Amino acid sequence: MNRPATVTTLQAAALVAGSIIGVGVLPLPRVATLAADTGGPLVTGVAVLAAWLALWLITKLGTLFPQQSIFQYSEILLGRWLAAIGTLLLICFFAFLASLAAREFGEVVVTAVLRKTPLEMTVLAMLLLAAIAARNDVRTFSYIHMFYLPFILAPGILIIALSLKNAVSLNLLPLWGNDATALSVTHGILTIASLFQVAFVVTIVIPHMKQPQKALKASSWGVVIAGGLYVAIVLATIAVFGSEETRLLIWPTLELAKTTSLPANILERLDAAFLAIWVTAVFTTLLSTYYLTIHAISQLFRLKDHRLLTYFVLPFIFWMAMLPQSVLQLYQIVELVGRIGLCITFGYPIILLLVWLLRRRGVSSS
Amino acid sequence: MRERNFMRLLRFLRTGFAVVLLPTLLLPLGGCWDRLEIEKRAVVLGIAVDSATAKEAGDDNKVTHLGRELPKVETHKLRITAQIAIPGRIPLGPGEGGSGGGKPKPVWVVSAYGHTIDDAMMVLQQKLSDRIFLGHLRVIVVAEDVARAGMSNINDYFRRNPQVRRLAWMIVAKDEAASLMAANPELKRVPALYILAMMDHAVEMGKYPDEFVGKFWSKRSSKGRDPHLPYVQMEAGETFSLKGMALFDGDRMVDYTDPLQIGVFMAMTNIQSGGYSVYTPRENLMYRATYRSAKTRLKIENGHPHFRIDIQVEGNIEEKPNESYDLETAAQLAALEKRLGAAAQKGALALIALTQEANADIFGFGELVRAKKPAFWNREIRTKDNWHRMYKKSTFEVNYVIKIRRVGMKAE
Repeated sequence: MNRPATVTTLQAAALVAGSIIGVGVLPLPRVATLAADTGGPLVTGVAVLAAWLALWLITKLGTLFPQQSIFQYSEILLGRWLAAIGTLLLICFFAFLASLAAREFGEVVVTAVLRKTPLEMTVLAMLLLAAIAARNDVRTFSYIHMFYLPFILAPGILIIALSLKNAVSLNLLPLWGNDATALSVTHGILTIASLFQVAFVVTIVIPHMKQPQKALKASSWGVVIAGGLYVAIVLATIAVFGSEETRLLIWPTLELAKTTSLPANILERLDAAFLAIWVTAVFTTLLSTYYLTIHAISQLFRLKDHRLLTYFVLPFIFWMAMLPQSVLQLYQIVELVGRIGLCITFGYPIILLLVWLLRRRGVSSS
Repeated sequence: MRERNFMRLLRFLRTGFAVVLLPTLLLPLGGCWDRLEIEKRAVVLGIAVDSATAKEAGDDNKVTHLGRELPKVETHKLRITAQIAIPGRIPLGPGEGGSGGGKPKPVWVVSAYGHTIDDAMMVLQQKLSDRIFLGHLRVIVVAEDVARAGMSNINDYFRRNPQVRRLAWMIVAKDEAASLMAANPELKRVPALYILAMMDHAVEMGKYPDEFVGKFWSKRSSKGRDPHLPYVQMEAGETFSLKGMALFDGDRMVDYTDPLQIGVFMAMTNIQSGGYSVYTPRENLMYRATYRSAKTRLKIENGHPHFRIDIQVEGNIEEKPNESYDLETAAQLAALEKRLGAAAQKGALALIALTQEANADIFGFGELVRAKKPAFWNREIRTKDNWHRMYKKSTFEVNYVIKIRRVGMKAE
């Protein structure tokens, strides 16, 4: 691990933002309205805050060991075998997350655009793309994110801005929702917060940063960018459709793009353009998840090079992507896995942090 | 020596790899599964939905089901009439359009029967050589009796289908909907595009709110608002006229308004570009609204909502054939403004009463209650049915201010 540290703070921020924004954008407004009807934007905002707190802790932990990735310092803190269990859990989770993201992408494509193309082809194409791109080192990896982020953000902002023409402000009131219950809101916050888990990738980027102590700033900005976009999308969707209609749409963000047209009849529907760009968003997320998975595996088995693994992991991820039997089952699994993932991606760093605190106290007292 | 052989083998493998891999990579470029040439699609521009009697529909087509599995209850049968663009005959520019004399028709009108929309579509597909494509569907015309029976069938199909645009128009036709598909308008060669132009221009002229089908669906879903659709009637086989708004109680059409009431509705819902002219019999003159604005205030009084709607309409005098009626001073205009305002206020209250009677809160007063008085809403209302009950009990106060700004090019 003596590669030069080259990732700038800006690149790290772009990396976090690009990793977060992914497949989850499409069903997001539905999840938010199911939690608290017109209070959807507020729920999303709270979820963003929660995700930011979690990521802050994770990044803080990373800056305590600025030369190592989480898989390395966990061994120092927990010992080799305990750490191996944690790493293994992370590997399983992120491999599964990658497969679910690819599958969700495939489902949208098969339902909405390429209706005759076999699902397997779109999923495989996406995974292959991620696998090829994941062969690069961290530097190129962060360049890829830096390059694509504007292409993800700009159309999103454009669609939000143009859809305001059909927005009805009454649809957003009352701010806290009519039928929100504590249970549904917690449910919603957890589900939305789980969309931010890919930001965990920051833990393997910190050792490659020029100024690792600025990692906190980078991940905060990443969450602000991605979270801002998420809140704006939920706001726009509910303002245009109303919360009751949003519940009926399986991918409300896609419907928003369908309802939005460029002024002066240049493009009468933006959904095709939106989907084309959304592919990029999915790609960057998938790339991060994939990268994280193979990095964890190569560190677990102490491989010098992670490249060998990229194609080796592919069949397993593809197989897992094919497991859900229907869209509805897929979304149930996504929700469940997201919930479990929160325990892993948030719980594990907390354990590490606690161990670090205890050990430091032990050192200072002895 | 062995090493060199090995290197040679490696190079050979690499070339072989390239030879095999490159064509494999090129393969998907040419033949996507979803490749479908534009002339091999049956591009549907408009769809009309009518009800059909069992006799008309004939025997079941058994395209989507086997007859014996059908339930014993008599299901409502539908007839859909689709307007399909004929490739190469759609006029692309104004030069090609012309009067259309002697030119072949650019569209083909076909119909099919079924129990549901999709059932009928499949029967239709069975008759067509090309795959039905709904990506360019611009107008859905629903016959009044179908709309009165309930729109859930239609709403579900078009919502579920990913090709359908939410920006398409849905309109309700008095009498037969299919006649609109077969209309032969002089101004445009494609009837569906004529209907589309008619509605788009109505929006531009301030004669109808921009109510594309997506908005209809949103209002259908919302708890404190009922949807409405344009209500049209066929005229002499050539064109059709906008007869008012079809009012809906949830999924079912319950009533319709007069054309001028569209103007009142637009004024009350703060849709600003005005487009309706009013004839006043007493003074024998025409007044045309150009700008409207409205503000609705809500109070809860004695356990029911009380709405105060302040409307201001600006406009001009368009015509005054009666020479003996003087219109020279500002004071005379002000007196006229007052009389017009009083009449308009009556009109607004009448429209509210009509919607209260019909259980169709097209204004979205309920949404105002839900949004602004959530505690009251949660305690007393919560559902659309309860809101309809409460809507009947609600009280209204309308202040209609009419301003006359200009009188045209003629003085007096």
